Amino acid sequence: LLFFSSNYTSKLFKAQLFMATGLKPIVSTESPALIFGTTTKLASDLPATDSFLGKNKVPDLQKLFQKADGLPVHLKRGVPDKLLYRTTMALTIGGTIYCLVALYMASQPRSQK
Amino acid sequence: MAHQAHSYHMVDPSPWPILGAAAALLTTSGLAVWFHHHSTQLLTLGLLSMLLIMLQWWRDIVRESTFQGHHTPTVQKGLRYGMILFITSEAFFFLGFFWAFFHSSLAPTPELGGQWPPTGVNPLNPLEVPLLNTAILLASGVTVTWAHHSITESNQKQAIHALTLTILLGLYFTALQATEYYEAPFSIADGIYGSTFFVATGFHGLHVIIGSSFLSICLLRLAKFHFTPHHHFGFEAAAWYWHFVDIIWLFLYTTIYWWGS
Repeated sequence: LLFFSSNYTSKLFKAQLFMATGLKPIVSTESPALIFGTTTKLASDLPATDSFLGKNKVPDLQKLFQKADGLPVHLKRGVPDKLLYRTTMALTIGGTIYCLVALYMASQPRSQK
Repeated sequence: MAHQAHSYHMVDPSPWPILGAAAALLTTSGLAVWFHHHSTQLLTLGLLSMLLIMLQWWRDIVRESTFQGHHTPTVQKGLRYGMILFITSEAFFFLGFFWAFFHSSLAPTPELGGQWPPTGVNPLNPLEVPLLNTAILLASGVTVTWAHHSITESNQKQAIHALTLTILLGLYFTALQATEYYEAPFSIADGIYGSTFFVATGFHGLHVIIGSSFLSICLLRLAKFHFTPHHHFGFEAAAWYWHFVDIIWLFLYTTIYWWGS
């Protein structure tokens, strides 16, 4: 958030921003399917030779990841994301505690036998 | 819903940076514990968590760009600067090892027999496998450029062929270099010759593996239609990195393999 001392400064800033960025909307997606579709072929019309490529799922994924559900991007897919995140968290945080304990033990002077 | 009045990307809160830092702690401490206490538990944990975090962080960047459209031209410019700065830092990293090589090889000490290669060291013949490796990497530079042109010309099938060929050449290089390492008459423990040779070529080999991995991810994304003819920075970054790896090899070949033999 930016605070301006006067209304004039605020308007000037906004005007400069507008000229610099054109105030593009965040979501300005170039749908890859359309670009490849117009110059080559539609996904549904793929000939047998290109059947290994599969269907273009990007538009569906774009819809999924742009759902206004308030989820952060690393959890946007739901359950699989949550599982992976929790596993990573457990390994890393658990590992850090193990590491600190190991370092503490390694720093203890060895008793003479 | 609020819209931003700028073309930059304000990212969602993410756990990966701090977890990545923790993973780095585990990896480095794990290395120390391995060296001094012969246990690889911590190191394995560190490398595993590093892998998981890298996968998820980069997966999120693909989501933010390809699926959510956050990579405006402004954002892309920043990413370009970032990649260029990173590659430059890697160039300086290798510069250090070249410095070490020249420090020892330009004025060989009496302990080495006053000559380079030192007395008793049989260097690899630069006209055998190392020359083949040079040809392989040069060819892979051509194929990755071919792949780039195919992408900009909307030729999906050719792009896949060219990128696959690039990756195969990279794997071929790695396999050949591995056999060279196995068959070499000298080891890393053979004085300063062994140290400079294996540390410099070893780090290069690691970068070939990293570059091949980056290109493989790009191949996957290419097959899944993530790239457009006008927006494919992930691929360009991988291609830049690959060219860098190629250039480092050319320096390694001409100095350590050829001049140093």
